[in-house]
Amino acid sequence: MRGSSDKQLNFFIKGVGVSGGVGIGQIVVIERLTTEICPRRMIKPEEVPAEIQRFESAVKAAAQRLRDIRNSIDQDHPLCDHAYILDTHILLLQDRMFFEGTKAAIASERRNAEWALSDIMMKITSAFDTIEDEYLKERARDIHFIGERVLKLLMGITSRSKVHQLPPNSVIVAHDLSPSDTAQIKKENVFGFAIDMGGKTSHTAIMARSLKIPAVTGLEKVSRLVQTGENIIVDGSTGIVIVNPDPETIFRYRERQEVYRKYQQSLMTFGRLPAVTRDGSRTVRITANIELVDEIEIAASHGAEGIGLFRTEYLFLGRKDLPSEDEQYEVYRRALEHNKPNPVTIRTLDIGGDKISAHLQFSQETNPAMGLRAIRLCLSRTDIFKTQLKAILRAAVHGNCRLLIPMISCLTELIATKEILRQVKEELTEAGMEFEHQVKLGVLVEVPSAVVIADILAREVDFFSIGTNDLIQYALAIDRVNEHVNYLYDTLHPAVLRLIRQVTSAGQARGLQVSMCGEMAGDPVNIPILLGLGIDELSMNSLSIPMVKKLIRSINMDDCAELTRLAFEMQDAAAIHSLLEGWISEHFPKDYFVDQS
Amino acid sequence: MTNGHEAVERTVVVGNPLGLHARVATMMVQAMKNYTCQVTLVKDDLEVDARSVLELLLLAATPGTEILVRAQGPDSLAAIKEIDRLIQENAIEEN
Repeated sequence: MRGSSDKQLNFFIKGVGVSGGVGIGQIVVIERLTTEICPRRMIKPEEVPAEIQRFESAVKAAAQRLRDIRNSIDQDHPLCDHAYILDTHILLLQDRMFFEGTKAAIASERRNAEWALSDIMMKITSAFDTIEDEYLKERARDIHFIGERVLKLLMGITSRSKVHQLPPNSVIVAHDLSPSDTAQIKKENVFGFAIDMGGKTSHTAIMARSLKIPAVTGLEKVSRLVQTGENIIVDGSTGIVIVNPDPETIFRYRERQEVYRKYQQSLMTFGRLPAVTRDGSRTVRITANIELVDEIEIAASHGAEGIGLFRTEYLFLGRKDLPSEDEQYEVYRRALEHNKPNPVTIRTLDIGGDKISAHLQFSQETNPAMGLRAIRLCLSRTDIFKTQLKAILRAAVHGNCRLLIPMISCLTELIATKEILRQVKEELTEAGMEFEHQVKLGVLVEVPSAVVIADILAREVDFFSIGTNDLIQYALAIDRVNEHVNYLYDTLHPAVLRLIRQVTSAGQARGLQVSMCGEMAGDPVNIPILLGLGIDELSMNSLSIPMVKKLIRSINMDDCAELTRLAFEMQDAAAIHSLLEGWISEHFPKDYFVDQS
Repeated sequence: MTNGHEAVERTVVVGNPLGLHARVATMMVQAMKNYTCQVTLVKDDLEVDARSVLELLLLAATPGTEILVRAQGPDSLAAIKEIDRLIQENAIEEN
């Protein structure tokens, strides 16, 4: 530990954990150049050729530097699969919009190269702003990275980036980290990343996972709040970053780091085993939540016994037209075949009209969470709904398919859905199509009214799946993304537990399977009570599966029942938290670190 | 009809789950270096050059989008075949 000055503040920030594990070390802030500080001046007509030449040689030097970095990544380098992004950057430097565009601006506007270049960068990035697709939109940052590189050369800023001289135990803090910076770091010296920008698909995230370095992104302004040399903890599993932690916190996180390391080693073993309680009295099916078919392999390798929630929205997002029946069929068939004989629970379109296809002309809603979305949208646009149902029923021939209807709030909607299903089967029969007649139908219980009438809905379906994220949001009237109220969002609110119990009792009374998808299902702390309430299947983020299986294999149903009984006697969430967290840390101190702060 | 070669056109659907993204665009521009013909990609009323990574990215071709590939020149058939393959390819980004 370094000597500390009194202005050091101890604080923590929550971002998005994008690469697991705990990193503890000293901050190295990597600053970025902003285009605002570049010199701007008008040039004389006779200066134009020289200015253009200055720009050309800066681009040439930048490209050469990128090529050198690119060539330093050989076959054995952990980032070799991602080296293509450096090729992309090299091509961007030569791209006519960027290269010719800047030269034209120098000549016609008589601006110096730095000014002309920043203008072009701005123009190009604002063109990206209009793109709806999140992944493609993020590529605007690549323009920043290359533009910045050229700007530095133009401005004669020769100091090499700090990434070359990272001392041991470094944790990199930056507004954004370019792929070329990431590619140059000395892996042994870097213990973590804490980045302002980005989500799970940013290149920093992808590269951090490949390098197996803990990383948290989406921290918004961490790079402006800290200084090089300060101590920091980066928890890439929970997304928590602690700056200037006290010795006790560091000690706790060292333990957690050790737990994580050991846990990683035993991880896959537990993934492969069934989730049977220690006394052998109960087996829970553990499934994965996925969005893309490509996630199936990760799910399977972590021990998923099928898919408990296959979100289908991505098929509809970021495009002008609607996906055809055949296109959807192909996707569903692949998911089903890959998982056979394990089940794949396909959730029908769960989206608001504003999100799909501009040409559908849905009106703007002031409160989309409670507006025309999910089953409501599908029932008002039966053409979209029928196409999806046909694709699912046809694909169902190829595996074990379950159909999950989101946002049901009353019986009428469920009856209407079943009527449409009947029509769809009729139409498929008429068309001579092969399809599965007996697909299991379930309601995604996520609206409080559906919980209250669960006994009524239970007569019409084969299974229930509790979607906790939305259910908690609707039941507690809390918008999770509203920073002013999200502290009230609590998974263990006595009301939430009572709602879950109401669904499991209604399901059990008719012998229905009750599963849970949503973040609540993947958090070990909640597992004893979910088992105690009789949940049959837990569907979660693939990465949580081994940990949850391990816990289930170490607990007895008697304990689950007792903890559930005690929790239902308690009157507020805080008491329930300390009951469950206390129990877990007492019984499994080595396996589960529970942050009780 | 430049150089006496007729334009060749083909409609292709984007197969990659991330859309026509950075990796595909990069591979496309690199592949184009082996051809002399002029190739453009058309989506709605936007037509972009297959030799520009930026333009390809700005096409914002998300998964499932239909794209018209247009090629003109002596080796247009071979070029269009390769572009077609790159667009349809369903590569997995991670792992």
